[in-house]
Amino acid sequence: MTEVYATIIFIFVLFALLGSSVWVGLALMGVAWVGMELFTSRPAGDAMITTIWTGASSWTLTALPLFIWMGEILYRTRLSEDMFRGLAPWMRFLPGGLLHTNIAGCTLFAAVSGSSAATLNMVGKMSIPELRQRGYPEFMIIGTLAGAATLGLMIPPSLTLIVYGVTINESITKLFMAGVFPGLVLAGLFMLYIMAWHYVRPSERPPKEERLPLGKMLAESRFLLPVVGLVVVVIGSMYMGYATATEAAAVGVVGALLLSLGQGSLSWDTFVTSLMGATRTSAMIALILMGAAFLSLSMGFTGLPRALATAIDSYNLSPVMLIAVLTVFYLVLGMFMDGLSSVVLTMAIVEPMIRQAGIDVIWFGIFLVVVIETAQVTPPIGFNLFVLQGMTRHQIGYIAKTAIPMVALMLLMVVILVIFPELATWLPENARQ
Amino acid sequence: MRDWQLPFLFLPLWVWLFVLPTALALLCAVFPHRMRPVLAPFWRILDRIYIGSGAFAACFMVLILLLIIGQMVSRWTGQVFPGGTEFAGYAMACTSFFAMAYALTQGAHIRVSILLQLNTFTKLWLDAFAMLISAVTATYFARYAIKTNILSEMLNDRTQGLDQVPEWVLTFVTMLGTWPWEWGALWAKGGGSDLVFTPVWLPQIAMSVGTVLLAVAIWDHLYRLLIARGSQIKGEILE
Repeated sequence: MTEVYATIIFIFVLFALLGSSVWVGLALMGVAWVGMELFTSRPAGDAMITTIWTGASSWTLTALPLFIWMGEILYRTRLSEDMFRGLAPWMRFLPGGLLHTNIAGCTLFAAVSGSSAATLNMVGKMSIPELRQRGYPEFMIIGTLAGAATLGLMIPPSLTLIVYGVTINESITKLFMAGVFPGLVLAGLFMLYIMAWHYVRPSERPPKEERLPLGKMLAESRFLLPVVGLVVVVIGSMYMGYATATEAAAVGVVGALLLSLGQGSLSWDTFVTSLMGATRTSAMIALILMGAAFLSLSMGFTGLPRALATAIDSYNLSPVMLIAVLTVFYLVLGMFMDGLSSVVLTMAIVEPMIRQAGIDVIWFGIFLVVVIETAQVTPPIGFNLFVLQGMTRHQIGYIAKTAIPMVALMLLMVVILVIFPELATWLPENARQ
Repeated sequence: MRDWQLPFLFLPLWVWLFVLPTALALLCAVFPHRMRPVLAPFWRILDRIYIGSGAFAACFMVLILLLIIGQMVSRWTGQVFPGGTEFAGYAMACTSFFAMAYALTQGAHIRVSILLQLNTFTKLWLDAFAMLISAVTATYFARYAIKTNILSEMLNDRTQGLDQVPEWVLTFVTMLGTWPWEWGALWAKGGGSDLVFTPVWLPQIAMSVGTVLLAVAIWDHLYRLLIARGSQIKGEILE
């Protein structure tokens, strides 16, 4: 019976605190404290600090600030603009034309940045004006951008995957490897959508782009080289086993600094802005992780996660059914909170459940990211929708409507992942560790 | 809750940490105009402290980078860098904790704000309520961070890794917490450059300082909110 009370109290306090707009990290601490005081005789404060200190001073976590910093440097200097310039000439021949720059740009930028908001900002800043000027329909410009930006969370480096890995104590390198192919498949699905639009709605096609001579095309694509080189070094060093995720992040930061220095766009000012921006973001995530660490300690004492896992187990749900239930659960949760918070909030409960059901935790991480990505573009709380609203001044409802086809594609991706789990598990199993 | 009853300057600890700050918040809510001149002089100083601690945190971010690179280089050249992992972990903790208040004042911490944006009433009063709860939580956090820090020092807790620091570093940090007339004796005792295993209290100072600053920042911004009748956190991304 204790478990039932515990669940009700936990959920009630959690919603009260989060709903009254207490900062997420502190709200989690508050809930955890209530749980400790009610269900254990342990001194809550001392246990809290021990857990938080162990988590906050762990070496695994250091990949987080470094990857954030790398993304910030690329974001604040001209590197990303160049990347976009180099990309555009190659996209004009595809059916659907320059709309593909949204997808390809997001995919490439996702490979250097770990957040979907940063990816969205970066690519949108350049592609929206360009595409509008060339007469592409607004509906397609915004929809594809909203969808593709979510690749930022999936293609390594990914902040969500780092947080997931730290929370459940799994190798971040493996998770990163697992994200590569599903990310590319999802990008492929988005591109197919654009091609389908091209053939289904010929009336909406913009005037044909004039052909560029091959020499000019190659000349323009030299701008791609620095960033692509950086991506190859960062991801390659992890894949080949030369570097851990943290070391790859350090290489990425140094590489980004050197590239922007060589290009002449790194000033003391941009250096400081990128550093301070990264410091803020990493402190924000650290506070949430601290709250989450204390919450999972507190929930562990109540025995709630184990009891729930056993209960789910006794229903004899097949893994596929369990995944279906969890998909709906995370989509609903994602309506009210951002991706990171919903991962850390639920892992204490969900981890024993999936381990009991025999689901691969690396695969589950990728599944989780796809579902969370989907929640990022569904109202009422879809972070990408807000960023896009700020950039385009459209109503949130309109932006959400443009993203509906993308949501459908992402749900299709979940199905693909369930049918072909090897998509996520093959690379990490075959990468050199 | 027993250890909250400890008297400190004639009043139990909980009165100092929770009741008095809340009373000040009430004063700000009832007499915003009269409280402004009382509190306003502190704002400029506090703002500098927040930004200063953010900059300090950023230095540790650079330190993480240097430590990781040092570790890679030493591995390639076949040397050993004892305790590199632990040091990177400490630098991580320093980055996170020192930047906490700074991130708050710059609106980087996230929260769910559906109800907040309902109307102007909730925008002010729900925000005030949320900040009060946050401030109490952060104060609780800070109090136990300090307690743990002091306990680690008393029990002489040492690292479980291989990381060592020179003795004079410890003496230097200890010095900052003592009176100038004690410094002579302190340096005479532990001014050497011998390496000792890192005591846990040293990196934990970041946690104590950072959490105190976070609590101060939240109380401070609660007062500012009530006095100005509007949120004083710049550029907060409300989702």
